[in-house]
Amino acid sequence: MTPAAAPAAKPAAVSAMSIGLVSCEACQLLSQPVSEEEPGYCRRCGEKLEYREAGSIQKTWALVMAAIICYIPANMLPVFTTTTLGEEEPDTILSGVAFLYTSGSWPLALIVLVASVMIPLGKLIALAYLLISVQRGSIANNRERTQLYRVVELIGRWSMLDVFVAAFTVALVQLAPLTSVAPGAGVLFFAAVVVLTMLAAETFDVRLIWDTAEPGRARHG
Amino acid sequence: MADEPEVAPLPQAVVTRKKRLRVSIIWIIPLLAALVAIGIAVQRLRAEGPTITIVLKEANGVEAGKTFIRYKDVRIGLVTAVELSEDYTKVLVKAKIAKHASGLMVQDAKFWVVEPRISLSGVSGLNTLLSGNYIGFQAGKSSESQTLFFAMDEPPIITDQPGRKFVLKADTLGSLGIGTPIYYRRLNVGQVAGYTLAPDGRSVEIAIFVNAPYDKYVLTETRFWNVSGVNITLDADGFRVRTESLAALLAGGIAFDVPDFVPTGAKPAPVNTEFTLYRYRAIAMKEPTMLERRFVLYFSESVRGLSVGAPVTLFGMQVGEVTEVGLTFNQKTGAFRPRVLITFLPDRVIAELPTGQRTRAGRSLADLPPEERQQLLRRVIEEQGLRGQLRTGSYLTGELYVAFEYFPDAPKVKVDWSKDPLELPVVPGSLASIEAKLGNILTKLEKLPLDAISSDVRTSLGTLDKTLKDASALVTRVDTQWVPEGTKTLEELRKAIGDANTAVKNADATLFSKDSATPQDLRDTLQEVTRAARSLRVLMDYLERHPDALIRGKTETK
Repeated sequence: MTPAAAPAAKPAAVSAMSIGLVSCEACQLLSQPVSEEEPGYCRRCGEKLEYREAGSIQKTWALVMAAIICYIPANMLPVFTTTTLGEEEPDTILSGVAFLYTSGSWPLALIVLVASVMIPLGKLIALAYLLISVQRGSIANNRERTQLYRVVELIGRWSMLDVFVAAFTVALVQLAPLTSVAPGAGVLFFAAVVVLTMLAAETFDVRLIWDTAEPGRARHG
Repeated sequence: MADEPEVAPLPQAVVTRKKRLRVSIIWIIPLLAALVAIGIAVQRLRAEGPTITIVLKEANGVEAGKTFIRYKDVRIGLVTAVELSEDYTKVLVKAKIAKHASGLMVQDAKFWVVEPRISLSGVSGLNTLLSGNYIGFQAGKSSESQTLFFAMDEPPIITDQPGRKFVLKADTLGSLGIGTPIYYRRLNVGQVAGYTLAPDGRSVEIAIFVNAPYDKYVLTETRFWNVSGVNITLDADGFRVRTESLAALLAGGIAFDVPDFVPTGAKPAPVNTEFTLYRYRAIAMKEPTMLERRFVLYFSESVRGLSVGAPVTLFGMQVGEVTEVGLTFNQKTGAFRPRVLITFLPDRVIAELPTGQRTRAGRSLADLPPEERQQLLRRVIEEQGLRGQLRTGSYLTGELYVAFEYFPDAPKVKVDWSKDPLELPVVPGSLASIEAKLGNILTKLEKLPLDAISSDVRTSLGTLDKTLKDASALVTRVDTQWVPEGTKTLEELRKAIGDANTAVKNADATLFSKDSATPQDLRDTLQEVTRAARSLRVLMDYLERHPDALIRGKTETK
């Protein structure tokens, strides 16, 4: 957080903060801050300017933690309870995958497995990796890590597929007393995982990755 | 500020930034998530009951994760694993029991696999066709919990419904089986719960269960009998076909009732009372504890058709039965005679008496000292002539029975009181007595003085001959003397009729001959009348068409 008035020595790894400037997070306009403590507001779009998002790493960690916690019941609790002719049958995501696989439709099983199990898990791992690497002041693979972050942010909005499927199925398959489908608690946790990882990705300040490129700026947050 | 003291170069004060709260409020979110997750986990753990092992002979469609354990149609557990026992002879089923049902897992709890079951007495478990087999459960009464159970092969018929269990002893199981219905006055009131061979292997012990409202009708005096199939009896009482119901006809059944002779107010039988299962109702309803008197009868006719168990009647009421039919051999005379042993039940006689006489007569029949009883018998037999007789109960089958009635004309006998069983005097049976009567008639016929009768007849015939001759002479006289007179009369009568005929003819000619005036006049008159009638018809026709002519007169036709 120490401002540096002097121009950077290595133009390739210069960050705005290191030369006393601040970039708008919304419109990316580079401005001169009013003061070091209160950088002020963006002249173009009115966004509150911050050198780095306050407590970004801490907040992201908190959200990732919450997502990890929710990920466990999301996979252990049933997402559906199918009632066929009076026989209730609860299904978790994994039992659904197993059912699809054993009944022969392995492509579907693969889709569900990837979309519902692997991707949320991958996102959590990716975010944890980013956080740890930033905290350790790693300087390797900065570009790749930024790309990873972009991917995490991109797929976040597609992760609610399962929840949509559940919502639709529950609404459509109500042929009581023959067959009916009721949502299980697992769906709520699954949705929570998705929302929390999206928030975590949003909270993570990608600029932190590049701060470490400059010596002496190893630790933040 | 000349006296300004020299100050050493002091350290520069620094601006420290306000120490911000380092822990962000956002940690509430994972904290909350953790709390919810832990809460659910705790709830799950607390809801988790014990895991039990059920030993089955065969898996019978029991599947891990699919098969439930049900009690009163409520799922109380789920099968989590199905595996073979270590020696590969049994199937071990692991099941997780719901917390709320964990108290049911006690020592004498029973498990069995419910599958569709079709038997003659009903179809059960049809719901398993849709849901798959499940494991049935019956609560036990023990309080000691247990985790290893051995499943039963058959579902227990009796669940926990109220009622009482009894044990029936029978020679054979017959067509009875588990679930065979129990009938009381043709109501289905229970079923056979099980059966085992008695330890000595000589009888079968059948456990039955009578449902609650009806179990109070099972008294200590109650008799049970088999109503399986059709019961056809052909005896001195005739031909009888008995069946309880169609279901019993096919699947067998057990009926029970209290015999009539049992006084009201008998106590309900306690649980597990042992009863005898009789073959059919008539045997069951017999009084086994009654006072019995045995007598022997020696007949002099064939006893073919008299079987053991044939009724012994007193004026038509059954008072006993034949217990033995055999022969006796008289050393002195070297003669064989049929010997019939009967059992006489005095209580049966008492039961037929009006209420007022029962106690007194009952005393004399049953409880009197031997001497007085002898006195009574002597009076009845020696003075009043009570005799036994063989009678045909059914002409179709030729079954015989022993009837006791008074035969005042029977020859007097002396009863030998020293014998045991006492010999009762008999008279020949109804068929035998007919034979005897026929013999009597024949004997009398034989004794007729036929020779004398024939000579009498001959004399009579001679007399008859003479009489006939006289009669003939009389007829001849009538012929010669009376008949000519009659002939003459007839001749005269015929002449008179001829005269009358001529007179009539004359009259006819006079009246209707062409020349006579009378017919001509008559013809003219008739013609006149015809004409008059015609004009009258014309007038009527005209009037009909012109009714006004009556008033206005006849108008000219235009």
